[in-house]
Amino acid sequence: MADAREALGTTPDRLTFLLALVPYLIDQVQVTVDQAAAHFGTTPERIRRSVELIAVSGVPDASGSVLPGAGMFDIDWDQFEDEQIIRFRQAPLTEQPRLSGREAAALLAGLQTLAALPDFADRDELAALREKLTRGASAQLAPVAVDVIDPGEVLRTVRAAQSAGQRLRLDYVTGDGDRQERLVDPIRLDSVDGVWYLRAWCVHREAERTFRLDRMASVSSVGEADAHPASLADPAALFSGATSGATRIQIDIADDALPLIADYLPESIDPIPDAPGRVLATVSLSHTAKIGRLAARVGPAGHIVTPEARDEARHWAERALAAQRRGLDS
Amino acid sequence: MTADTPARRTPAEERLFHLVLALIATDTGLTKSQILSTVEGYAQRYVAGADNASLERQFERDKDDLRDLGIPLETIDQLGADGDTKLQRYRVSRDAYPMPDDVAFTADELALLSLAGQVWREGSLSDDSRRALTKLRGLGVTIGDAVIGVAPTLRALDRAHNPLTVAISRGRQVEFSYLKPGDARPEVRLVSPLALVQHEGRWHLLAYDEVRDGERTFLLQRIVGTVRQRAGTARTAAPGDAERALAELAELWRHNVATVRSQPGSEADVVLRNRRGSHSEGEVLHVRSTDLTLLADELAGFGDEVQVLGPPALVDAVVERWERVVAAHG
Repeated sequence: MADAREALGTTPDRLTFLLALVPYLIDQVQVTVDQAAAHFGTTPERIRRSVELIAVSGVPDASGSVLPGAGMFDIDWDQFEDEQIIRFRQAPLTEQPRLSGREAAALLAGLQTLAALPDFADRDELAALREKLTRGASAQLAPVAVDVIDPGEVLRTVRAAQSAGQRLRLDYVTGDGDRQERLVDPIRLDSVDGVWYLRAWCVHREAERTFRLDRMASVSSVGEADAHPASLADPAALFSGATSGATRIQIDIADDALPLIADYLPESIDPIPDAPGRVLATVSLSHTAKIGRLAARVGPAGHIVTPEARDEARHWAERALAAQRRGLDS
Repeated sequence: MTADTPARRTPAEERLFHLVLALIATDTGLTKSQILSTVEGYAQRYVAGADNASLERQFERDKDDLRDLGIPLETIDQLGADGDTKLQRYRVSRDAYPMPDDVAFTADELALLSLAGQVWREGSLSDDSRRALTKLRGLGVTIGDAVIGVAPTLRALDRAHNPLTVAISRGRQVEFSYLKPGDARPEVRLVSPLALVQHEGRWHLLAYDEVRDGERTFLLQRIVGTVRQRAGTARTAAPGDAERALAELAELWRHNVATVRSQPGSEADVVLRNRRGSHSEGEVLHVRSTDLTLLADELAGFGDEVQVLGPPALVDAVVERWERVVAAHG
């Protein structure tokens, strides 16, 4: 029971659903349970239970007392129970609620982000939508703003090739620092906090791979892409910093500093005996070249414990300091 | 059976639904005791003539919840008894509740708004977007085909994000611990939160610092521990405050230019050249950031692929990070 309710969202979500469903049903005059479910992207069962709840809801009369059975909703029960058709003859709530100032602002901030896409570069529907959302809100818009980022040449080229079904040649630098030329057929473009990722079919590997746009030294279209089976990858899994790593590394770190290494997706986090507030975190790296970066990330909050990795981190930082000294002298 | 342990407690969304129906149906408004004694969800727990303190607290929370959802809840003082909460009457404004008739969306516009709502991956912006889209679906228009194959997303991972959003919309002051770069310990700040803005993929809070008596901008990732609401009534944002804060950050970003040299063809070279706002003069790159401390973290992670040439404070910060790695891993 608790789980089933959880799937329907939080209390405000469930209330909003009821307040949106009632005027929709009135407006449709009559609608089947399945149609309503499809429209709201929910289950017929949820529609049925909501209708049952709505149909027996009453409101207090002028003296403030509820008369039993004097609910103001009047539904055609026979049609509902026999034919799964919802038809209210009378209802006290016939209009859609306005958006809250926060709701309108959340959509607007999302639109600001979309405005950065090449697709919307010269469309003025965004301005029209802003005006409508502002008028559709019951209060002043919540003060939220997001910077609009110029897409840049790489994103423009990749998006154009994706839309036109073109193959791309990439000059790409991998997370391990290897520079490679790759031929890829674009599947999907995603971004997280301004960092763009291309999911694509890699012609050499004959498999799907994810490429970061900021690691593309150059990119160009090279004729038509092949058709490939639909991608099965879970979008949420594409952006984790973790890879099925070869090198396992343990870090002694203050527990309140764990967010620093959250995107390395620690495999385990164990308290260190007799060291309050400190934990031993195990992370996995694809390549030993990344150890130094991990050590720098941890900073004053901790240090690497695994002996070989510890030496590698020290050597990495010593090389950086030596290069820095040479750089300033030259 | 006592008032606090009913056989079946009405689910919260049903209690709130009945409350909205009752408050919309009333012309003159209902007093608190009328609501508590008659509206389903309260009435079963109401004991006439007794202390209903826990039920009254419930009602106070419910009022906040309704207002958060954009439901225009009005409080009417009894003539000659201003502020007497026993005599105050409540109702939902029938003018301000419904979406204006002329606010309508096409299938294409809803598709765009749906994509805009999906920009938010988690947190209150995601919740607010989801509820906004439920309300918009209630308008009855089928959502068109969204732009295919591209999905920009933004996260609001900072724990401070949700409580600050709530505090802003409710007009409350907040107190939090803030760790400035270079400080060993966080400082407690008491502020009126004004606006939340995202720049360079990071969330910032524009606030009025009540102790220092001036406006300040805080980086959410430096807020440590919990954000607590305070009793004081907050100053509220003026229209355009969020946009102004964003413009100020953009200005700072334009002026904060770091000079680095990167090893040709390396990961650092490709990534830094692709970075927004970067420009190069031969081997030397000019890189922008609003925050030199965060830029120092990023540059230090590239190890010997970069040499930092200026400004001097950034050089010192990066060198200090590498020296710390050497010292911690000796």
